[in-house]
This record gives sequence, structure tokens and C-alpha cells, in this order.
Amino acid sequence: MNIIETKNLTKYYKKIRGIEKLTFTVKEGEVFGFLGPNGSGKTTTIRTLLGLLQPKSGEAYIFGKNIKDSIVEIKQNIGYIPGDLNLYGHLTGKQLLDYFKSLRNSKDYLTDNLLEIFEVPLDRKIKGYSKGMKQKLGIIQAFMHDPQLIIMDEPTSSLDPLLQQKFYEFLLKEKKRGKTLFFSSHILSEVDKICDRIGIIKDGTLVALENIDSLKKKKGKIIKLRIKEKPETFKGPKDMSIKDGWIQFIATDDIDQWVKKISEYTILDLEINEFSLEDIFIHYYEEKP
Amino acid sequence: MNNHFRFKVALQTMKDHLRITIILTVLFMAIAVMYSVVYPAFKDIMKGLGPMMDEQFRFIPGAQDIGTFVGFLNMELYQIFWLLIMAIIIGFIAASLISKELESKTIDLFMSNPISRKQIIFEKYLGLIPTILIINFATMFMVYGATIAINEEIKFENLFLAHVASIPYFLAVISIGILISVLIDEKMRASIIMISILVGMFILRSISLMIPDYKSLGYVSLSHYFNPYDSLKYGKIDEVGIIVLLVVAIQILFISMVIFEHRDITV
Repeated sequence: MNIIETKNLTKYYKKIRGIEKLTFTVKEGEVFGFLGPNGSGKTTTIRTLLGLLQPKSGEAYIFGKNIKDSIVEIKQNIGYIPGDLNLYGHLTGKQLLDYFKSLRNSKDYLTDNLLEIFEVPLDRKIKGYSKGMKQKLGIIQAFMHDPQLIIMDEPTSSLDPLLQQKFYEFLLKEKKRGKTLFFSSHILSEVDKICDRIGIIKDGTLVALENIDSLKKKKGKIIKLRIKEKPETFKGPKDMSIKDGWIQFIATDDIDQWVKKISEYTILDLEINEFSLEDIFIHYYEEKP
Repeated sequence: MNNHFRFKVALQTMKDHLRITIILTVLFMAIAVMYSVVYPAFKDIMKGLGPMMDEQFRFIPGAQDIGTFVGFLNMELYQIFWLLIMAIIIGFIAASLISKELESKTIDLFMSNPISRKQIIFEKYLGLIPTILIINFATMFMVYGATIAINEEIKFENLFLAHVASIPYFLAVISIGILISVLIDEKMRASIIMISILVGMFILRSISLMIPDYKSLGYVSLSHYFNPYDSLKYGKIDEVGIIVLLVVAIQILFISMVIFEHRDITV
């Protein structure tokens, strides 16, 4: 079953494009990474899905229901962590959680379990919270009613590395429990760690939609070398590039034949690196102007 | 599901305004006492002022009656502090109800809860009603108590009527405030626009009372439909005025809901 499905979803801020003709689906139980640099339209997509922004055209369905007609019903089963998290400063952590609980219709709340992982000073006013504490409270409120879908907009941005690690572990556990996670980020390593599938967004349009496993299979090695001979004489693959005397190409197949071929030249310098998500990302961002 | 009947947002709005409600209640009670107890000292001077007031202060209903206790209260407490200052304070608060959340961006997470936009507006509106009721009736009892204490006379029925008739007036003020609040996403700007509207209404009403040719200008002013002097003095209420105020309150609340329903929540 598709948890999220968008069809040509388009949002303009007056004349400025936010997102254009986004079409993608997120399946049940999937961790979907939504990648893109700042200003590419990640937040616009998320906020349109949540009904905060009215799309100009296109449609979006969550749990098979149109967001236009059933957003309130849909939101009963969604947890949300905003990218720019702002909480009521005049309330204590406990008051905020109690308030939000009263607005939701869950029978059980997982607050206690969550508080064990993400400790916050519940009796202190949120005004006095550090950024990390606020973020932890943001995580707790998003998961406390045990929603089916959790939408997160760069949720790790203000967590320290230790907490990030805890958070990733927590997300993977939630995934095992069958939750669907929609996760926007520009940090590739975290996407690499926890996502099943990624969508890459650029200037408001989706430029790639791939399975992370197939991406990884595809990735191969990046070989960079400098040779004493003229770089142009090197018989590399078609997509080989030469820059400042460096020959660069991607070895997707057997690396052995390449090492043997390289050994025919006089090597000045050689680097063989794992082709990372980062390279894919940069590839998408540089290739198509 | 049954979220419609739990009024949790209204309850939270009430809690959020508890402190300001207490402060304002104490403030208005103090003002009520102040004007009541100073009356005996000014009694004689005021009596002589009557005819002059009629000419110079025609823009304030009941000004000619300043020589009597009821007339004095009307002029000092009700026409100025009640109709104008209290409306400004309530309007100021109402205009910040949504704009505050838009400006501080707390609206983003708040709206991820399963609650419709219409309901948010409706409940925020409801949440401010206790504030006006508490201030309203606390002030009423204070005026009555002070009147007895200084041995003056005011009919309790008339006083009660004036304060009951105040409710539609302030409901309309809250509605206009909410409308501004959903249109403007900066708290201070929204509140200042609201104050300008209320002061503007007061000025138009004053002009309409002073210059007969401009009588029709008064129709756009809320205070045209509510005159506490008639209630205090004669025990009369303007039924048509009350209906007009209630219709205005409901209409504007409804418009605010529709506007909020269709606006983008940009952060």
C-alpha cells in the first residue's frame, strides 16, 4: 500500500516556484529519504503534504485519502518534526505534551518510553530549553501517539553526534515496528544509514528516485590518477574526464582489469575511492544545469 | 473524532490569558472604584458643568448629565474606559491570537495536530470570551459596591443591563481582532492595525455626533450600536443594536474562518 502518493504536485509562492510537478510514492514500512540542498523545495513539499500550504495544482494522497478533503483525518495518524522547530516557550515540556495529547485521539501514549531515550527537563519552561532539548521534545511529540507515518524535516540538525546515533537506532527500531518514515535531509551519511529509498530534489523538481540498494550496487569505485604520459593517451572508459592533469573515471565493473591497465603507464599519483552517495548527489547537481 | 466537543484549544487559550485577565480585572475594578469615590468631591463642580458639556462634549453620549452620579460614571468610566480603552485592550489581545503563532512559527507544529483550521479560529475565539466576561462582571460588582460605599444611588438592574449589553459589543471587537489576526502575520502590526481601526471608529462616531450632516458616519462604528448611558440612566437597551453587533460578530468570525482556511501558512 502506498502511504504517500503525489501526482504532479506543484506549489508556487506567488510567481516563485516552490515545487514543480512532483510525482512519487512512499510505500508502507519504508524509510524514504528526501534529499536536496537548502532551498531546493524539501520543506515546501513537506508543508504542502501536511496541508499547511495549498498546492497550485496536482494531487497528494496520504493513506489513500486526498489531502484536500481529509487532512484532519489524515493528521490523526501522522507525526511531524518541523525543520524550523518552534514550541510554545511559556509552557513547560510537560504542559506542551499534555496539550498536544489532548488534541490527538490516541488511546495509549508512548511518552515514557520516549523520555527514556530522549531525556528532557519536563518541568522546566520550554523558553529555557537548549536547542537540543527542544529537538528532543520535538521528537517525543512526533512519536508519542504512535502514528503510522512520521514526517521529519531535517530532524537531526540540532542533535549532537551521540544523540544522532541514538536517534538513528530509534528510527530503525520504529521501521521494524512497521512505521513509515519520510525523512528530509542534506546529510548524506545519515540517509545512507537509514533510508531504503531516496528522492533527490533540485530546484523544486524531482531529479532522481532510486532504491538505495540499487544505487549502492551501481556505485563502484572512483579512480583518479595522474600519469607521466599525456593524460589523453590513457585508454579509459567513455565517461572518463580529465581535469588539471587528473584522469578520473568510475569503475563499475571488475576493478582488476583497471589496475592492470593502469600499470601499463607510469603512475605519478593514484586514488581509488568508494563511490559514495555524495558523488551521486553531486553528480545529479552538477550534470544537469 | 469527538475532538469537536472537547474544546481543548479554547481551554488552552483561556489558560494562556489567565494572567492578563486577572491583571485587567484588577485594573478595571480599581478604575471603577477610583471614579466612583472621586465623584463626591467633584459633585458640585460637575453640576455646574452640565450645560457647557452638552455643547462641548456632544460627541460623548450622556455628557450633559455629568452632574449626576450616573452621568459622571457614564462619562468617565463607561464612555472612555469601557467603550474605548477596554475595546482597545481586548482588540489588541484578539488581534494577536493567530498572528502571534504565525510570527513565532509555533503554528507549524500546532497545526500538525488533527484539528481543522475553522475549529482553531472558533476555539481561539471562544477562549477569549471568559476574559471579557470576568472583567465585565467584576467591574459591574465593583461599581455597585463602590456606589453603596459612597452613599450614591444606581439601579442594579440598570447597571446589570449595561454590562450585559456590553457583551455583544466586545464579541464584535474580538471578531474584528481575529480577522486582523488571520490576515497579518506579525503580532505587533496586527495589534496596531486593530487599535487604529478602533480609534478610527471612535473618531467617526464622535464626528457623527458633533456634526449632524455627518450623522451617517456613525453607522460604521461599533459604539453606534451600544450606548451604556441609556442602560445606566433609563434601563433601556438598544435591541436592534444588539442584533447588529451579534450579526457583525458572527459574520466577521465566519469570514475569518474562511480566510484562514484558504491561506498558506508560510514560515
